Amino acid sequence: MRDPGSSAESEAGAPSLSFNSVGMIFPDGTEALRDVSFDVRRGEFVTVVGPSGCGKSTLLKVASGLLDHTSGDVDVDRKSLGYTFQDATLLPWRSVMRNVELLLELEGVSKDKRRAVAQEHIDLVGLSGFEDHYPKRLSGGMKMRVSLARSLATQPEVFMFDEPFGALDEITRERLNDELLSLFVKEGFAGLFITHSIYEAVFLSTRVLVMSARPGQIVAEYDVPFDYPREPSLRFEPEFALLAGQVSESLRASSAGASR
Amino acid sequence: MTDTHQRPQVETAAEHDAVGAVAMEMATMRQHTTGPRFIDKVLAMWPPVALGAIFVGLYLWERQRLDPFKRFLLPSLSEHWNKGIGNPTVLGEVWDRLLITGQIALLGLAASIVLGMLLGIVMFRFRLAERAFYPFLVTLQSIPILAIAPLLQSILGFGLAPKVIVAFIISFFPIPTTLLLGLKSVPQGMIDIFKLRGAGEWTILRKVGIPSAMPSLFAGFRISAGLSVIGAIVGELFFRTGAGGLGQMLINRKIELQYPQMYAALFASAGFAVAVYLVFNWVGGRLFNSWHESGEQG
Repeated sequence: MRDPGSSAESEAGAPSLSFNSVGMIFPDGTEALRDVSFDVRRGEFVTVVGPSGCGKSTLLKVASGLLDHTSGDVDVDRKSLGYTFQDATLLPWRSVMRNVELLLELEGVSKDKRRAVAQEHIDLVGLSGFEDHYPKRLSGGMKMRVSLARSLATQPEVFMFDEPFGALDEITRERLNDELLSLFVKEGFAGLFITHSIYEAVFLSTRVLVMSARPGQIVAEYDVPFDYPREPSLRFEPEFALLAGQVSESLRASSAGASR
Repeated sequence: MTDTHQRPQVETAAEHDAVGAVAMEMATMRQHTTGPRFIDKVLAMWPPVALGAIFVGLYLWERQRLDPFKRFLLPSLSEHWNKGIGNPTVLGEVWDRLLITGQIALLGLAASIVLGMLLGIVMFRFRLAERAFYPFLVTLQSIPILAIAPLLQSILGFGLAPKVIVAFIISFFPIPTTLLLGLKSVPQGMIDIFKLRGAGEWTILRKVGIPSAMPSLFAGFRISAGLSVIGAIVGELFFRTGAGGLGQMLINRKIELQYPQMYAALFASAGFAVAVYLVFNWVGGRLFNSWHESGEQG
């Protein structure tokens, strides 16, 4: 088992994703990002929190290449990218199995091989027995699991998450947080996660970045000292609450600027 | 690159929870898998059957109120049966003519589907084509077909071709428009999934656009199917020469005052239009029920 928490490994490797003074101005003149710099290495899980409309999603779209930035440098290997959206974005006419196979299919992986890899990842997210179900018969949480399995099947170097659990109820969200962490421990990808939930951010991450209101800038950075694997009960530890409180404070300070 | 088969099995408490949660959801879903019984399906047909009975009642009521010398306009049920659709000779003729009308309608519909889908895709891929073609599509849809029938006759004569063209023109509009609507309604997230993997426009169209637009396109097929039969009949009513189908039978029997036979042709045209609609409905159901929100749940 890899130990993503060990500082030796995370400091040693070259960054899998690197933002260097990245700025992004939309054609209509709206400045979404200003001077954003950070790195994510394998085994690191970095979460960006910020007030709504601050450009968190824009940051992720720029990182993935769906949007072009207007200044600075973004360095990431887009060939090896996992991406989960706010919505599960499954293809409704494909069964769970064929949805998980999709990205491998686009890469031209042979049918037998991709079926085997897909099966393995369906098992991994706890959906064994649902291979032939269509998305409309699945609950929101199960759809998200399929979406995770679809990206994991490509063995991504960098895995980006755009508020993937935002639409789920609290219990399902916590359960998926727990599962995501065990997947992260197993796979050891470089994680970049966007959320507006402070607890989710602190629970998942090695590092939490706080973004200001538009134009989005990184105004604070918190290292999360807890080792992986993290138990669900971590959420009730005093240290956890303390750190979440600090993040909350700086988030509040950054949002206060917006109303001025 | 990690070898996934050698990955050590780490099982956390969280994972056990996950499996339990999924199993519970599975149990809830299984309860919905038995379909309604056949007898329930038959009993569920009562609303249209009752309405049909009311229509027959009104027909007989109206016939009763007519002056006796006008009653030939609304033949009695026994006349319908003995001289109309129940009569083997009449049925034989109806069948032969149905084959001709069916050929006209299906050729027109096939042309509509092939050309309509091509146009739909071209209009989707090239915005300029959409802007250029759309006004003409609307115009084509709005022209009274009988206004251009004489022109068609001058150009194409009295054979099969002008009738097929009429069926084509009448049934064309729904195909490109429903396909275009379907293609434009594909959720952006689905397209982004493909873009992130560097897929090209045609791959996206083939793997996401067309399948996603299929339910909408099939709605267009069902409308066009009915329209193509109307087109074939209208074509025959105007071009009363050449091999005659149901449309020709309708007009000729009316002139000869053979009303039961005219009604037989009418019933056959209506039945045929409904049958083509049902075929597309059935095929669409087979294709989409398992996954589309409009499909049955159980």
